Formats: sequence, C-alpha cells, structure tokens
Amino acid sequence: MHSKKDNKKKLLWLQGVTCNGNTHSFLNLPYLPLLLSKIELLYFPTMEALYTFEEISECKLSCDILVFEGAFDPELKRNDILIQTMLEHYSKNAEYVIAVGSCASFGGIFKASAPQRNSGLLFNESERTGPMLEVDQKIINLSGCPIHPEWLGYTLNMIINHQKILLDEMHRPRELYSNLAHHGCTRNEYFEWKVDAKGFGLKEGCLFYEQGCRGPMTHASCNKILWNEVSSKTRSGTPCFGCTEPDFPKQNFFNTKTNMSIPEDVPLGVPKRNYLTMAGIAKTFHIKRLEGKLIDYKTTP
Amino acid sequence: MITKQLLEHIEGEASVYFDIKDDKVDFATITFPHFRGMESILKGKNALDALVITPRVCGICGHAHLMAAVRAIEDAYKNAGFEIKLTQKAQKIREFTLIMEMIQNHFKWLYMVIIPELVKLISIKLEKTPLKGAYAASLSAKAIAVFGGQWPHSSYMIPGGVTSDPTFIEIMQARSQLEELIKFFEKETLGISLDKFLTLESCKDFNGFSSDLTNLEKGLIETGMHTKGFAKDQFIVLGEHGFTNSSKLKGTRTFGINSKYVSDTDAYSPQEITYAKNALYKNEYYEAGPLGRMLSQSVPLIKNMHRRYKDSAYSRVMARVFEIGYLLEYSKILLDNFDIDEDSVVTVTDIKQISATGIGVVEAPRGPLLHKIELKNGMISQYHITTPTQFNIGSSTPQTPTPVQQAMQGLAKKDALFIFRTFDVCSVCTTH
Repeated sequence: MHSKKDNKKKLLWLQGVTCNGNTHSFLNLPYLPLLLSKIELLYFPTMEALYTFEEISECKLSCDILVFEGAFDPELKRNDILIQTMLEHYSKNAEYVIAVGSCASFGGIFKASAPQRNSGLLFNESERTGPMLEVDQKIINLSGCPIHPEWLGYTLNMIINHQKILLDEMHRPRELYSNLAHHGCTRNEYFEWKVDAKGFGLKEGCLFYEQGCRGPMTHASCNKILWNEVSSKTRSGTPCFGCTEPDFPKQNFFNTKTNMSIPEDVPLGVPKRNYLTMAGIAKTFHIKRLEGKLIDYKTTP
Repeated sequence: MITKQLLEHIEGEASVYFDIKDDKVDFATITFPHFRGMESILKGKNALDALVITPRVCGICGHAHLMAAVRAIEDAYKNAGFEIKLTQKAQKIREFTLIMEMIQNHFKWLYMVIIPELVKLISIKLEKTPLKGAYAASLSAKAIAVFGGQWPHSSYMIPGGVTSDPTFIEIMQARSQLEELIKFFEKETLGISLDKFLTLESCKDFNGFSSDLTNLEKGLIETGMHTKGFAKDQFIVLGEHGFTNSSKLKGTRTFGINSKYVSDTDAYSPQEITYAKNALYKNEYYEAGPLGRMLSQSVPLIKNMHRRYKDSAYSRVMARVFEIGYLLEYSKILLDNFDIDEDSVVTVTDIKQISATGIGVVEAPRGPLLHKIELKNGMISQYHITTPTQFNIGSSTPQTPTPVQQAMQGLAKKDALFIFRTFDVCSVCTTH
C-alpha cells in the first residue's frame, strides 16, 4: 500500500508497442538505487513493484508520474484492457506524463510496423496529432532509441526536486536536447577541416561526409553525457543515426545522401550556400596531422 | 476447466492457459499477444539498415540480433562469391561484447526474476535484491559500450569487422569493468572465488559455504525443483563461438548439427490469437540455452548435476548461473589475447554487388538466434528471424508438447509458473 508519511511521488511505467529497450537502458542508471529510494514504484516492467499488472490494469489507482514506453497503438491491449484506456485514466491525475524513447515521443521504429495507426503520445513524427493532446502540458518527450538513462534520471530528479523543466517545441527538456550529438564528438577537428573518415574501424576522420552521420543535425547530448558513462556511437566509429529526431528511422543509415557530392543536409542552422563556401575553403588546407593515423602501433617503435 | 494466467516480468508478457485436473497441470498452452512486424519493416531496405533496425527487436539482447544480422549479411557475401575473412581482433571484440550481453541478461534474470519468484515458494531466508542484478548488468553494459559505443541498441558491427578502433586504454577500461564484475560475482553471488567456483565438481560442493548462490540452491531443493520441470532432455547449440560447441545433444551424448534443418510452425493457441511461432530442429522440439551449452562443453559440475537431476528446473537454473562464471573466465582470455595491430575491419565489396541469401547464427543469452536474409543488389527482399524462446516456449498440441509444455505437465500451478520462468522467456523477441 502507499506509504503516506514520506509523500514520495508515485511512478507508474506502462508500455505500448516496444522492444523494452528503454526499460533496460534505465536500469543502467549509475545512481538508480538512490533515485528509486526517492520515489514509490507502483509498477515497472522488469521487476516487482507495489502492484501487479492485473491490479494496474483495473484502472483504480492513480500516479503522480506516468512513464510511457513504446509507440501508441489505439488497438493495443494489455491484459485485455486497451492501453488507451489505461493512459487516459492514469494521465488524468498525473502531474507529468513522460514519453520515454522515440517510439513514445514520435512513433519511432514501431510506427513503421503500422504507419496509419501507431504514433507517439503527443506527436506523430513531427505533427502534433497524437492521442494525448488534451494533456499536452503534462507531456515531456525524452526521445532517443533507446532513451539515455541519465536523461530520464535528470527528468525524474527535477520533478522530485520541484524544479521547472524548460522544454523545446517538441516537448523535450532543453537542458538535454539543446546540444547536438556533434557537441563533444572526438572527431570535431576532422569535421572542421572537412577530412572524411576513409572508412569504418578508424579513430580518424569525420563520419558526416560519407558514412551517414547525423550528429550535426541531431538534438542529443550523447557526446556530452556519455553512454554507459564511457562512450558514444561516434566515439566507437559508428555514425549517429539521428534517433532522437521525429524523422527517425530514416533509410540508408550508413550512407550520406548527397547531390552532386554535396551533402543534402548540412549542419543545423547553417545556410547551405555559406556552408559550402566555408567547406570549400577549409578543404584547401592540408593539415598533415589529420592525414594519417593518430597512433600507428605497427610502425611506431 | 481452462484458466488464464498473465505472466509479467518475462521480457514482455505472455498468457498461459492451464487445463487443471486434480490440482495438477494436465496441459498448458501459451499465448504471446503482441506483434511488431520487424521482418516486414526490413523488406525493401538496404542490407546494412538491418544492422540498425534488428537490434531494436529486443531491449535485452539487441546485440545478439546485431551479430546475427551481420553474420547473415557476411554469409550472403560468401554465397555471392565474396568471402569475408575477419581479423582475429574483430572476432574477439565481437565475441567479448556478445558475452557481456549474455552476462547482463543472466544477472537480471537471476536477481529480478528467479530469486523473487522462488522467495514466494520457500520458507528459508532468501533476500530479494533486484538492484544487484541491475548493478551487475550495468557493469557489463559499460564493458560493451567501451567497444560498441553504447548499450542497448549498439550498431557497431559491420560486414568485415567492427566500427571501433580501440586503443590500449580502452582495452584496460574494459578489463577494469570485467574485474569489477568478477569481484561483484564473487562477493555478492558466489561467496567464493571465481577460480574455486569453476573447479566445483558436484552439487554437494555447495554445502561448504553460504551465499546467494547456495541459498538459491537450497531453495530449489526445498521446492523439489530437482525432481520437477523435466523437459525433453535433448538440447541444441547452434551458434559457432569460441565458448560453445555447436551440437545436438540427447542427454549428454553429442551429435553434429546444421542450422539448415531449423524450421518453424504456427503456435497452437486455441483460446486467443498468438503471434508466436514454434521453432523445431528436424521437426523435433529441443531445449536451447545455457544448460545445453554447458553440457556441450562437458563442464564437470553441470555433467554431474545432469547425472543426478537430469534436465530438471534445478539443473536449468544452476547451469545459467554457472554460465556467468564460465563466460567471465572466457572474457578474460579474450581481452588478454588481443592483437591491437590488426585492422578492425577488412575492406569488402560494395553491398550493391550482392544478390544472395545468407544465414547468421549466434548463441544469444537464451540460446540460438537465427537471421536469414535474402538480398537483391544489396536490398533486402526477405528477412526471417528465429529466436531461442521459439525453441523453448513453443505452444503445441498435447500429442507433441514443446519443452516448456512438457516441463509444466503434472505439476501444481505455482510450480509450473516458476518453471516457466526457468527458461528465461523473451516475449519481445518471440513476437518480433
């Protein structure tokens, strides 16, 4: 039963059409035990909490924070109850509805399995036509495929501490999504001087020109708040796939779309013509340090 | 009368329909009610997109899906006449990260599923500590991220190798995560050193010390799990790795195996629509997962356990815990024998040149995972996924029960529900 004396926020975690990736990502939060000690977990998908799913699906309880993972499908039932019914019930009294992951935020990868039906809670890709328009002021979108654990950790801590969370136009916390995935990328110098990565499996070179990297166009702090505290996609030589944006998933992830060898999309907020002029000048520099390997274990004595 | 039971905390949900006679399970069918259509999402896409999309089949074993996908594409290269030879370095990095994913899965299953469920059935003291599982899993995830950039949903394997180019400092970071993980396992789970644990030869050896492991073992004995939950006593291991022998086992006798004999059939679910399919090998049901893997490796403790308790729920649970130790030890060997001079990736022909079929097989945490791909000019025309839970948790008729159906038969419902979980069910994978 709820303990009344400590007045902890009651959190309920529901799932739509999902792979459980956000649940598992959240479990990697370094300060998970501390955070969980500050809230009351009514239901969580992978571990026991105060109630069973059968009790939750009766829609007789209430929560303060409703977390929703996965795409919204109006026909989806869990325990024979429409997930829509559960969402409507629990969002009524909740202070916040947190859409965790790109599926819950925009439709994400599981919009593709039923494009006419599935969407995010508030947005259908970038259109504001989701099913929860009536409670739009409560919705915080934490896009990402999956969610970065510390982004949810931040959001929950802000709520627990009664601090106001500034949101962008896609209802994402500005503190987490005003950065681009490009910020903090260890390949930035190569980006500045327009030095391509010659392929994969290298520390050197920028993945934006040939390998499909969406870092300069993607709102995400992956290179500022590192994944699992140690790395990021671009640090491990994998292009950013833009998984926090409403248009994820795009196609041809490992290729940069070009027109006459010019990238179709240029860094966010930069006029294309100016970018090309600047890129042309930068390319004329030949910086020897950036031409070879940073460390060559084979030849260095 | 047939009664429905909702099962949660099993990587998604399932419903089990029990037909109870004289307070015992006469027969049970299983329904997986959710569907996402991953195979159709992949159709018409560039083959390399499978490396980004298929990890999203599952939040807990996405990395195994990534590896199955890359192996399927590499097999298509081979069948098109462009065989790819990975460097030892790329192979070892891939194996290491796969193993770390298996370990995180096993820890979560142990502390979040098995112990809490067993506590409901026993009188002896066994503490529920789910966050121990999360902590150990997060250490494994860090070790993956050192090479793969992140976990879950990394996409760092590509045809020809891996995208990362680790330096010595990254190998040391991974090694330090591994040491931390071993320390955790010794202190929190085993109560003895890993070295000593790996030399245990008999179930009697658990009597000499006290820990989560020995309390778990006592609980399994108290509930009679060493005399319950028998399935087919035949196992398959299909993935080829340094830590397994791909083989078919009848009891402890091993036979050769070929993944081309894997097929699937619609699951039998008379009460409700299910989106699951059953997986079979040469039209027979086999158990997949750690018990089979450890028997295929002739691990003395597991062989001894099998001699005493056959393929009971006890053996199934203990083999999975043992596999954590076995894989931790193997991971040390992988990291210690790493030639950093080798390339991370070898050059491969443009995917557009490839029109062929390919199959990628790996041992995922719960057993064999198969991806079959059909490519036309580098584009996916067909994609087919078979997952370990489809082998273990199939739902068939009373005449041809699947491993889990057989294991639950004749037992009280509460025991059957626990035994269901000993297979470590992945519902999201099953209904990809």
